[in-house]
Amino acid sequence: MHVNEAEFLQGISGFLGSYYVTLAVLNGIAALYVWERLEKSRLALVWLALAVFFLALSPLAFSGDSRMMGIISVPGSIRNLVNVVMGIPWAYSTGTLVFLSLLYFFRKFFVKPVVAWSGLNAALLLMGLSITNPSFATIVTKPDNVPIVGLVFLLGFFTWLGANKAVTNDQRMKQGLEPTEKMNSEKILVWPDLVYTELICMIALTALLLVWGILLQAPLEEPASSVKTPNPSKAPWYFLGLQEMLVYYDPWMAGVVLPSLIIFGLMAIPFIDFNKQGNGYYTIEQRKFAYLTFQFGFLVLWVTLIVLGTFLRGPNWNFFGPYEIWDPHKVEALNNIDLSEYFWVIGLERALPSAPAGAGAIEQIGYIILRELPGILLLAGYLLVMPPLMAMTVFRKFFFRMGFLRFMLLANLLLFMMLLPIKMVLRWTVNLKYIIHIDEYFLNF
Amino acid sequence: MAAKKNLSMEEILASCRSLDGGGAAEPSATPVTPSSGESTTSSSDATPSTTAAAPGKKASEMGVAEMLAAARAEKSKPAAAPKATSKAASPAVSKSSSKAAAPAAKAIPKDTSSILAAARKDVKPGPMSKAEAAVKAKGETPTRGKPKIVVPPPPEKPAYAMAHQAEEPSAGDRRSFMSTAVGTFVGSFLAVGFTSLGLTHLLWLLGFARFMFPNIRIEPPSEFRVGFPADFAPGQVETKFKAQFGVWIVRTEYEGQAQIFALKSVCTHLGCTPNWLEGEQKFKCPCHGSGFYKDGINFEGPAPRPLERYGISQASDGQLVVDKSKKFNEEKGQWADSTSFVPV
Repeated sequence: MHVNEAEFLQGISGFLGSYYVTLAVLNGIAALYVWERLEKSRLALVWLALAVFFLALSPLAFSGDSRMMGIISVPGSIRNLVNVVMGIPWAYSTGTLVFLSLLYFFRKFFVKPVVAWSGLNAALLLMGLSITNPSFATIVTKPDNVPIVGLVFLLGFFTWLGANKAVTNDQRMKQGLEPTEKMNSEKILVWPDLVYTELICMIALTALLLVWGILLQAPLEEPASSVKTPNPSKAPWYFLGLQEMLVYYDPWMAGVVLPSLIIFGLMAIPFIDFNKQGNGYYTIEQRKFAYLTFQFGFLVLWVTLIVLGTFLRGPNWNFFGPYEIWDPHKVEALNNIDLSEYFWVIGLERALPSAPAGAGAIEQIGYIILRELPGILLLAGYLLVMPPLMAMTVFRKFFFRMGFLRFMLLANLLLFMMLLPIKMVLRWTVNLKYIIHIDEYFLNF
Repeated sequence: MAAKKNLSMEEILASCRSLDGGGAAEPSATPVTPSSGESTTSSSDATPSTTAAAPGKKASEMGVAEMLAAARAEKSKPAAAPKATSKAASPAVSKSSSKAAAPAAKAIPKDTSSILAAARKDVKPGPMSKAEAAVKAKGETPTRGKPKIVVPPPPEKPAYAMAHQAEEPSAGDRRSFMSTAVGTFVGSFLAVGFTSLGLTHLLWLLGFARFMFPNIRIEPPSEFRVGFPADFAPGQVETKFKAQFGVWIVRTEYEGQAQIFALKSVCTHLGCTPNWLEGEQKFKCPCHGSGFYKDGINFEGPAPRPLERYGISQASDGQLVVDKSKKFNEEKGQWADSTSFVPV
C-alpha cells in the first residue's frame, strides 16, 4: 500500500472528526443519565469531562493536518511493539486467552456498568487513535470488515450483559434470595407488547440495512478464474474460524470431521447436561462447567479466530500486526516437520522407514504404519487414556453423576475440541505439520 | 288429513308463532277443527298462558300487553307448562297438529323469560346434544358439574374392512395364478403408470448421460507447445502459461539432475492457485499459506504433499509439449517417470 500520507489524512479527517463528536455526544448522554436518573453528581462530572475531551479532539481530527493528527495517533514506538507482539501467533492467542480469563476471574469488578462504560470508551478511543494509521484504516474500514468491527463490539456488549445479570443473580442467591428473573414473573401480552417491539425492531433493522447498503459499497472484483486466486483469499467472515482451522489440519479433518463434530456436540448438549440448575435465569456459579466450556469454544475457538483471520492475516496468509503494511513479499520461512520425521530422523537419527522397491501393497501398508507409529500411538493414547484419566481425577464427580456412556461422549467431545488449540500451539512452537501423515491414502491428522 | 288442508294461512302463522314463542299450547287451542276440540279444553286448563290470554283468542290477535302478561305468568310458574300441554295435546290432536306439537315439545322455548327460567332450573337452554337427549329421555337431569360422556357403541365393521383371510391357492389353478400375476404387474393402471414413469426417468437418465459427452468441447487442448528448451534459463520458473493453462514450466535441478518439468498450479491442500514469489524463490498459496520450493516440494503450511507434475516431452521439431492428461505425483514415486520431465 503506497498511499500519500497527507492525502490519506485529509480523506479520513471528516470521518474521524465526526467520530469524536459522536463519542462526545455519547458521553454527554451518559453524564445526563447519571445525573438525572442515578443522581450521582461526581460520576456525571467525570463523563462530562470525558465528553469535553472528545469534543476537544474533534477539531484536531477535522483539520486533517499531519501535525495535528500526529497528536491524536498511537505513538510509533507503541505501534511497533504491538506489531511485534501481535505478529507472533501464539502471543495473540494466549494473550486473548489470558485477557478473557482475567475478565472471568474478576467478573465482579468488570460487570459494573461504570467499568464497562470506561472499557468501551477506552476501546473506542484506541480505535480512533489507531485509525490515523493507513494500514489499520484500510483493514478496519474495508466494507467487508466493517460489520466484523461492529460484531466485536456487539458481542462484547452481550457477553457483558449476560455476565452482569449472572453475577447479580449469583450474589442474590448467595444471600438466599431468588434470582431477579423469578421476581418479575408477571405475564405480558403477545399483542401488543411483543408484536410492537418486534415491529419496531424490524423497521429499525430495515432502515439500518438500507443505510448500510447505500453507504458501504459491496466490493466487486474481477471475474472469477480458476487459475487466479485473490491474495489473500478470505472466506466469508463467519467461516474465518474454519479457514484458520484448515491451516492446521487436513481439509478432510478441518472441513468435514471437526465441523460435523461441532454440530453433533451442540446437538448432544441436552443429553450431556445433567445440571438441573440455572433454568430460566442467568447464572455462572451454578453452571460453571457449562459456562466455561461454551465461552471457551465460542469466544476463544471461534470469535478469536474470526478476528485473527480478519485483521491479522494478510497476503500469503501470513501474520501481520494491526499497524503493519500488508507486504506480499514478507518472508516468513516455516519449515514444517511431521511427527514421524521428528521421531525417526531427528530423534533416532535414522531414515524414515520406507518399503523397498517392488514391495507388495500389504508390505507397503505395514511400512507406512511403522513410519507413522509414533503419531498413531500418541493419538490413540490421547483418545483412549485421557477419558479414564479424566474420570479418575478432574471429572470424578461428573463420571459418577453421568454414567459411563454420557461421560465418554462428553470426554471425547472435549478432547476433540482441545485438539484444535493443541495442534495450533504445536504448529506455532515446534513447526509440527502432521501428527499422522499418510499421503498415500490421503490420511493426515 | 283433511284438517291439514283446511288450515287457513292465519292458523298456520299462529302455529308457527306458538312454536317460536312460549305458549306451546296455543296451536292446539287455535285450530277450530272438530277433532281438536277436546284437546283445547284440556290444554287450556293446564297452561297458564292460555288462561292469561283470553281463551279462544287467536295468537295473532294478542296485544303486546297480553304477551308480556303471559310471559310474566310463565315466570311465576316455571316452564312446566309446555311439557304438560304437549303431553296432553299430542295424543288427542289430529296428525297435523301433533306434527306441529312434537317438535315444540322437543325444542326448548327460546324467549327470554323461559331461558331465564330454564337457567334457574339448571336446564341448559338451546339445542342439546344426543347424549343429553338420551339422558333426558331416561328422565334424569344432567348434573351441571360433570357432563356424563356417553360413548355410543362402535358400528359393526363392514365386510370390506374385515381382515383378509388368505385364500389357499388350489394346486391345479396355475392358469388363474398366471393371469393374476400378469394382471397385477401389467394390467392395473397403477402398474402402467409406474412403469411408464420409470421408463421416462430412464430415458432422462440416458439423455443426461449423453449430455455429459458433448460433441464439441470448448476448452484449451490438453496438449500444447511451450517453446524450445533453450528458451528457459537455468533456475527459471516460467509463469506466463499459468493464466491460460494453469501450469508453470520450471527449469531446475531435482535430485541432482537438471531438468525441465511442468508443475500444475493447484495447491495440494485445498485447490487454490499459489503464486510464484521470485524474491523468496517459493510458491506460496494465498488461502492457507502453504509453501512449496521451486521443485514443487511442500515445506510450509498445511499442504500435505508436493505439487503435481504434468506430462512433458520433446516433439520432433525440438519444442516442448506439455500433456495435461497425464499427472505425476511425487509421493507415489511417479516423478522418476521419464515422461514427467525433459532432461537438459
